[in-house]
Amino acid sequence: MSTPPDQPRREESAGLMEYSTESLVPFGPIHPALKEPEYFKLVLEGERIVNVIPRIGYVHRGLEKAAESRPWVQNMYMFERTCGICSFVHSLCYGQAVEELTLYQVPRRAKYIRTIIAEMERIHSHLLWVGLMGHWAGFDTLFMWVWNDREVVLDLVEAIAGNRVHKSMNAFCGVRRDMPENMEDRIVERMKFLTDRARYYKEVIDTEETMLARTENIGRVSADTVEKLCAVGPMARYVGLKRDVRLNDPYAAYDEVPLDVITTTEGDVHALLKLRLDELIVSANMVTYAVENLPDGPIRVKVPPIIPAGEHSSHCEAPRGEIFYYVKSTGGRTPDRVKSRQPTMANLPTALELLKGQTLADIPIVLTAIDPCFGCMDRMSFYDTETNKRWTWSGEELRQYGINYYFPERSKKPHGLKKIGDQSSDSCLMEGF
Amino acid sequence: MLRLMLEKPTTEAYPFKKIQLPERFRGKLDVDPAKCTGCQVCALVCPASVITMVDLGTRKVGDRELKVRRPLFDLASCILCGECVDNCAFTALELTKQFETATANKSDLIMNKAVVK
Amino acid sequence: MSETLAQLGKYAEEIGTKVSPLRKNESVIEVSQERLKPFIAHVVNDLYIRHLMTITGLDLGQNLGIIYHFSKERDTIHVRTSIPKSKPEAVSIIDLVPGAILYEMELHDMFGIEFIGNPWKERKLLLPEDWPADLPPPLLKTTKADQIRKRLGLEVAKP
Repeated sequence: MSTPPDQPRREESAGLMEYSTESLVPFGPIHPALKEPEYFKLVLEGERIVNVIPRIGYVHRGLEKAAESRPWVQNMYMFERTCGICSFVHSLCYGQAVEELTLYQVPRRAKYIRTIIAEMERIHSHLLWVGLMGHWAGFDTLFMWVWNDREVVLDLVEAIAGNRVHKSMNAFCGVRRDMPENMEDRIVERMKFLTDRARYYKEVIDTEETMLARTENIGRVSADTVEKLCAVGPMARYVGLKRDVRLNDPYAAYDEVPLDVITTTEGDVHALLKLRLDELIVSANMVTYAVENLPDGPIRVKVPPIIPAGEHSSHCEAPRGEIFYYVKSTGGRTPDRVKSRQPTMANLPTALELLKGQTLADIPIVLTAIDPCFGCMDRMSFYDTETNKRWTWSGEELRQYGINYYFPERSKKPHGLKKIGDQSSDSCLMEGF
Repeated sequence: MLRLMLEKPTTEAYPFKKIQLPERFRGKLDVDPAKCTGCQVCALVCPASVITMVDLGTRKVGDRELKVRRPLFDLASCILCGECVDNCAFTALELTKQFETATANKSDLIMNKAVVK
Repeated sequence: MSETLAQLGKYAEEIGTKVSPLRKNESVIEVSQERLKPFIAHVVNDLYIRHLMTITGLDLGQNLGIIYHFSKERDTIHVRTSIPKSKPEAVSIIDLVPGAILYEMELHDMFGIEFIGNPWKERKLLLPEDWPADLPPPLLKTTKADQIRKRLGLEVAKP
C-alpha cells in the first residue's frame, strides 16, 4: 500500500541539496516491549553522520481518535496499552487528569500504592535499558545478568498486580487492589538485593573495557541545546538540568516520600548509564520507605461514570521522561478530547542533534541512549556523500558493524564457534565473556 | 562468575516442570452459570467488547413477561483486566490461573457456558 | 500564586489579554494569533518559562483551537489561541522554541493546520505518504473512523 521503507521517496533521491534541508531519522533499535518502529535516513560523509531525516508513525494507532468514542474507564485500559514498559504511568497520568475534573480526593493509601508500583516500574525499565546497552555494545553477558535481575522486580509486580506488564492497578480516585498481606519483608529484602546489584553494575561499567570504549565521549550535547529542544527525563538530567516532574510538581505521594534527583554534568553516554543506575538505587529506597510507612485507610473512592465538564492536564515522570495528558470533557460519558504526549516524542529532536557528528558505528549506542519507545528497527537507509553509495541495513547488521568497528579482533573465528556475520546471537554471547 | 555457577539456573524448566504462579495471577476468565442472573453489567463495563448478551426467551414473573439474557464470551479479545469480575454483584465471574489457552481453532475460545441451557 | 504567575498576570493586563487562574499553580491565557508571537517571546525570554510540554489541537466547531502548554517548576501555563477552520493557518513558534517542531508537524498531519514559518510544513510526520488528498485530517470531529477505513481500503477484524 505505501512505499516500503527501504526505498527512498522519489523526490528525495533527486540530489544532495534535498537531503541537506531535511532531517530524517531512522530509528528503532530492537526493543522487545517497544511499540513504534521508526525509520531514519542518514546522510554520511565517509564515517561521520552529516544529517538525519526522521519518518515516524509506523505504528500510529489513532488512540486519540479512538478515545473520543469510548467511556472514560475503558480509555484507562486503552491508554495503559500505549507502552508496555511505562504502562502504569500512562494510566496514572490519564487518571490524574480526569480525577481533577471530579471533585473527589484520592485516599492517601492509594497514593502510596501508586508510588510503589510506579517506582517498581522505573526499576524494571532502567534494568531493561542497561541490559540493552550491553547488548548493543557487544557485551551480552551484561545483558543476560541484568535481565536475570529484572525477573526479581517483575515477580514482585506480578505478586501485587497479577500481571507483569499491564498492571491494570489504577482506577479513578484510587487503586483497584490492595497490597497483599505479609509482603513487606519480601519487598524490602528484594530492594536491598537490587541496590547491591546496581552498585555492582556501576563498578562493571567503570572498569569493563567494552563498555568504556563504546560509551565514553559518545553522545555529547550542550545543556543549552537540550533546554531549547525541550528534552525530558534522563536526557535533560545528564547534561545538568534538574528537570524531574516528581520534584518540580509532585503528584501521588512524592511530596511525602524522600526523593533524590540525580543529575550529572559529564554529558556522555557513560554518564547516562551511571545516572540511570543511580536512579534505580533511589527508586529502591523510595519503595522501601513507602512500604514501611504505608498509611491505613481506604484504597478507592467510587466515581460516577459521567465526568463533569471542564479541561485539565496532568504530567508524570515515566522512566523515560515526562508524560503529558490533556483531557477535555463536555459532561458526557465519553471524553471530548484526549491528548497524550510520550517522552520519546519530546526527546526526538535531541536525538537528531546527538547523532550529527557521530560515526556510523556509534548509531546504535546513541539511539538506545535516549531510551526510545519504539518497536523494531525496520530498516535504516544510508547515503554516503563521499563515495555516492546508497545502501540499507537491518538493525542486526548495524549492531554487528559497530562491534566489529570497535573490536576488530572479534571478527576472527573464535574457538571453532560460529563466525560473526551469522545473524544469530549465540556467537555474540560467547564474545561477551 | 563463580556465584552464578553455584546458584541454580535461572531458566525455568517449563513445560516439563509446573510453574509456581502467584496468588493474584490473572488468567483465563471463567463464569459460574448458576450464579449469573443476566444483569448485563459485565457487558457494559468490558473495555474490549468481549461480552455479548444473548436472548434466551422470556419467563413469567407474576403477571409480567421478563426477558432472559445470558452472556456469551469471546475470550480471544479478553484483556484480562478484571473489570467484569469487580463489577459483578453476584460473584459469578472469576479470573482463573489458566494461561495455556493457545489453540488452533478460534471457536474454542468462545465460552458459552452461561448460554447453553 | 507564585511569582512567575503573578508577573504573567501583570504582563497580560498590560497587553490587554485575560489570565484565568485554573488551579493554584495553573493559568490559562487566551491570546489572538497576532499577539501570539510577542506573548510567547515574553514568556520564553523574559519570564524564562522555557519548557514546552506539547501543543494540543482542538476541534471547536467553527474554529480550531491550539493550546501551548508550558511549564516551569510548579507552574503550568496554557496559552490558547484559535484559528478559523476555513483558513487553517497559524503562526509557527519554532524560532522561539525549537523544540516545538515535531508538535507542529503533528498538528499539521492530524488537523490540517499550516504553520507559517515552519520549514517542514509540507512534510508528513505521522500519516502515510499515500494519504488521499480528499480525505480530511483524521482528528476533526467530522471525520469518522469508518470513513477513513473505507477510503484506505482497510477492514475491521470480525469477532
